[in-house]
Formats: sequence, C-alpha cells, structure tokens
Amino acid sequence: MRKTNNVIKIKDFKVGKGLPFDQEYNFAYLDENTKKMIRRAIIKALCIPGYQVPFASREMPMPYGWGTGGVQVTASCLTKKDTLKIIDQGADDTTNAVSIRNFFKKTSNIKTTEITEKATLIQTRHRIPETPLKKKQIFVYQVPIPEPLAFLEPKVSETIKMHSLSEYGAMHVKLYEDISKNGHIETAYAYPVKTNDRYIMDPSPIPKFDNPKMNNSPAIQLFGAGREQRIYAIPPYTKVKSLDFEDYPFDPFKAEHACDICGATNTYLDEIIVDDAGNKSFICSDTDFCNKRKNK
Amino acid sequence: MISPLLKVTNLSKSYDNIVGCKNISMSLYPGEVLGIVGESGSGKTTLINCLSGNLEPDRGKIIFNINNKETNFLNISESEKRKFIRTDLAFVHQNPRDGLRLNVSAGGNIGEKLMSVGNRHYGNIRSLATKWMDKVEIDKSRIDDLPITFSGGMLQRLQIAKNLITSPNVIFMDEPTGGLDVSVQARVLDLIRSLVNELNLTVIIVSHDLAVIRLLADKMIVMKNGTVIESGLSDQVLEDPQQEYTQLLVSSVLHV
Repeated sequence: MRKTNNVIKIKDFKVGKGLPFDQEYNFAYLDENTKKMIRRAIIKALCIPGYQVPFASREMPMPYGWGTGGVQVTASCLTKKDTLKIIDQGADDTTNAVSIRNFFKKTSNIKTTEITEKATLIQTRHRIPETPLKKKQIFVYQVPIPEPLAFLEPKVSETIKMHSLSEYGAMHVKLYEDISKNGHIETAYAYPVKTNDRYIMDPSPIPKFDNPKMNNSPAIQLFGAGREQRIYAIPPYTKVKSLDFEDYPFDPFKAEHACDICGATNTYLDEIIVDDAGNKSFICSDTDFCNKRKNK
Repeated sequence: MISPLLKVTNLSKSYDNIVGCKNISMSLYPGEVLGIVGESGSGKTTLINCLSGNLEPDRGKIIFNINNKETNFLNISESEKRKFIRTDLAFVHQNPRDGLRLNVSAGGNIGEKLMSVGNRHYGNIRSLATKWMDKVEIDKSRIDDLPITFSGGMLQRLQIAKNLITSPNVIFMDEPTGGLDVSVQARVLDLIRSLVNELNLTVIIVSHDLAVIRLLADKMIVMKNGTVIESGLSDQVLEDPQQEYTQLLVSSVLHV
C-alpha cells in the first residue's frame, strides 16, 4: 500500500533533473477524495459537451496561470499504467512542460514520453499536436478563462442564463466588430466554438489553426480551469464548429511558410527573430512532429 | 373588430409596503401610441417595466395578442419570455448608455438584435445597419465609430435604430427625450413621429413632458400615486381635463 501522508520534506525541493519518486506523496499528488470529486465533475462534463461544470479547485504547488486546472484533471485521470506527455506551446522542452512533467514524475512515478502516439494522456498548454489524436487517448487542456462570454457580459449570473437559454447573439457581435475593423475575423486564438450544436465554448488559447482538430476527434478532450474552478469536456466523436458568418467563413490561418527545420508546409509555425537585423525563421511549434520528420 | 395588441388587467406591483402601481387596467391597439404621464414617483416607470418584462408584477394579467396568438406574459417560462422580449418587444431607455454597448461600434450595436435572432450574414447585417443609420439621420460614415464619440442626441437616435431594426410589435419608450437639450429634443421627437407614421409603430411612451405626449400620443393615461386617475384621447384629456390633478398638470405647462 502506498502511503497517503502528504508531509513534504524540505530536502525534496531539490531543483534539477531526475527528481526522485517521492513515496511521501499520494499517487499523483492529490488525495483520493479530491480525485473522486474531480472525476465526478469530469463525468458530468462529458455528459453535457461544452457545459462548464463547477468543481472545488484545490491549491496546487504552482501559481495560478501555470496550469493548475489541467494538472488537477491530469492527476485525477492518471493510472499507474499511463504514459504521460506534456506540451507547452507545442514544445516538450519549455518551462511549463518540463516542470509539470517533473511534478508528475516525482509524485506518481509513471512513464513519460515526448512522442504523441505513445502517450495515453497528454496535457497541453495552447496547442493540439500535429499528429492526429487516437482512440483511448485523453487530451487535457489548461484553461485560463473558461467563459467565452466573459468579455461581452461581465456578470456571471447573466452568462449562466445566456448559456442555459442559448442566447448567443452577442457572441457574433464580437466577430462582427472584428470584420468591420480589420476586414476579416481577427481573433487568432481562443476562437469560440459551438459544441454538439448546443454550448458555445472557449477552446482555451489554442491557435484557431487547431480548431478543426477538435471536431469529431476520437480522443477524449478535457478542459480544466483551476482559478475559475470549471471543468468542461468534449467526448469522442463530437461535432465542434467554429463560429463564423455565412459570407466570412472560418479560416484556420497559419503563416505562409514552410518549416525551416523539417520543411513541413501544413503545420503551425513559430516565428523566431534570429539576429539583430530582424531576420526571421519559421519553425514547427510541435517539436515532436518536427523532430520525427527531420530524423526520417 | 380589431382586438387589442396588449391587454392589461388589474396589474399591481409594490416594493415592500410602498405602492409602485395599483390595479392598472388598460388596452393598446395596433398602430396606437399611448402616452403615460404623471409626476415623479407616480408609478409610470414601474408600469412600463412590468409591461416590458423588466419587473415581475405582484398581481394582474398582461396579455399580448400578436398575429392572433395570445401570450400571457406572466404565465410563460423564462426562456419563452426572453425570446418574446427579444423578438416582439423593444425598449428605448431614457439614458441611451443603458441601452447601448459603449465598447461596440455603432454598426455592431444596431446589428446585435439581428444577430440574436439568428442572422448570420455579415453583408446583410451591415447593409441593414447602414440603412437604419440613414433612417435615424446619423452620417453613414460613422458606422464603425464607437458610441462614446457620439453626441447625446446621436446616441438616442442610435438607440432607437438598434431597437427598431427587427420591427418589434410593441415599443416602450421611457422618457426618450429626457436628458436632451431643447433643440435636440425637437429633432428626436420629430424623428420618432415620422418613424411612427411611416412604419405604423405601436408605442407606449412614458413622459412627464405634456408637449411630448401632445405631439406623439393618440391616447394617454394620467397616473398619480400608482393609480390611473384619468384616461382617454390625448387631445381630449389635454383640452378638457376632468380631474383636479390633471387640470393642475395641464395648467402648469409654461407658455413662452
């Protein structure tokens, strides 16, 4: 039996690679009752696609905005057999990805991977991998602001009413403003979608390039917002449609370039300034996908 | 015989033990403009808020009869009620800032109702919005400007356009010229009058300004302490007031 004692020792706070698995933590940090509570919220969220289920978000050993919602969802879904992949802006080796991966290594001793196909559970910040998701994969998004209507209607009581009565006219006002100001829909990330023809949902700050990947995906997609205490979900094979106008259809924009490393033309690219003269380089934001193509 | 568009019976609303309005009965026919006058605190605003769905009355009946379909306003579900308010009613606030989104362009404000009833064609929304800018005499080139850059009179005209674009069946106006200076008032009133004639609108207008009522309303009711003390054709009531209070009201109008 694993110990359920949550005492943290000072010596555990060693910075650096290869933190040892710490038996003092419960499996995946959260205690079993908390995980049970979160799983109930997840099940409810899966039953009502796109509906924001409130849950009693816990304090996590990281600041809000670093993915406390996603981490709690991941912790509640993890089993000892899982292989975990963590993405931060498409990359496996950036701060957020490295620290969350180390966190789960230390508290659950499960296998981790950088390869999308091998992962059974993927937690992401702001990207969906280029490699299509598969059946039986769980895909967890970190969400800063779950309420897509928040910028139009500051009252939560009112947004809840708008959702329950499907009063979504105001959402198109935002897109209208975009077109009248810029000639096209300028919203490039957190582009609102309608899930299962019912709830309008914020897909978290993924680029709108990734929006079509959510539609009819075989994987389970879970969204966790820690500070705002909301969980929502898209069950497998669910219709997810990006909002648009008939005469201004949704356009999953990407930079007009090929990747400078692997040459891919159909991936989402990061723009990098490479010298003081302002020269640019475009490379795949999905590091796993890019490495695989490069090594072929 | 034409049946009334709106029939109100014994409507009462009080705030704790303060009476808002008491036992109000009235009816409104299609194409009619009804004026409600009375001093501050007489229950005008309470009445109009009950009729337009902003307030829940304590007792009474509000029945709309639109296209031969009767809607008992107090018996329908929240979602039906909100849908009804969205498609069949409109409310012009005294302060246009209450009825507009100030961080959304003029065109977006006018188009919002269209989008909320399901219009999803940008070109159509925009051309209709432009047409309505023209109708309320706002320069079409200001369509992408924010309302905060508009003058008081323009804001009020913008609010009127926003409300009329979906051709609502009943329009409520609460002191639509209240906060405006006299020359701008005249212009807005003129606009409302021409729209009423042109589009055959059915309007309930609340005002403490008898000139506004004389200019716009076919019929009027006079309220005091939450009850209706006199009602009838507005010319008749204004020329030959029967109640002491109405006489006082009519005689206290300044003639310059």
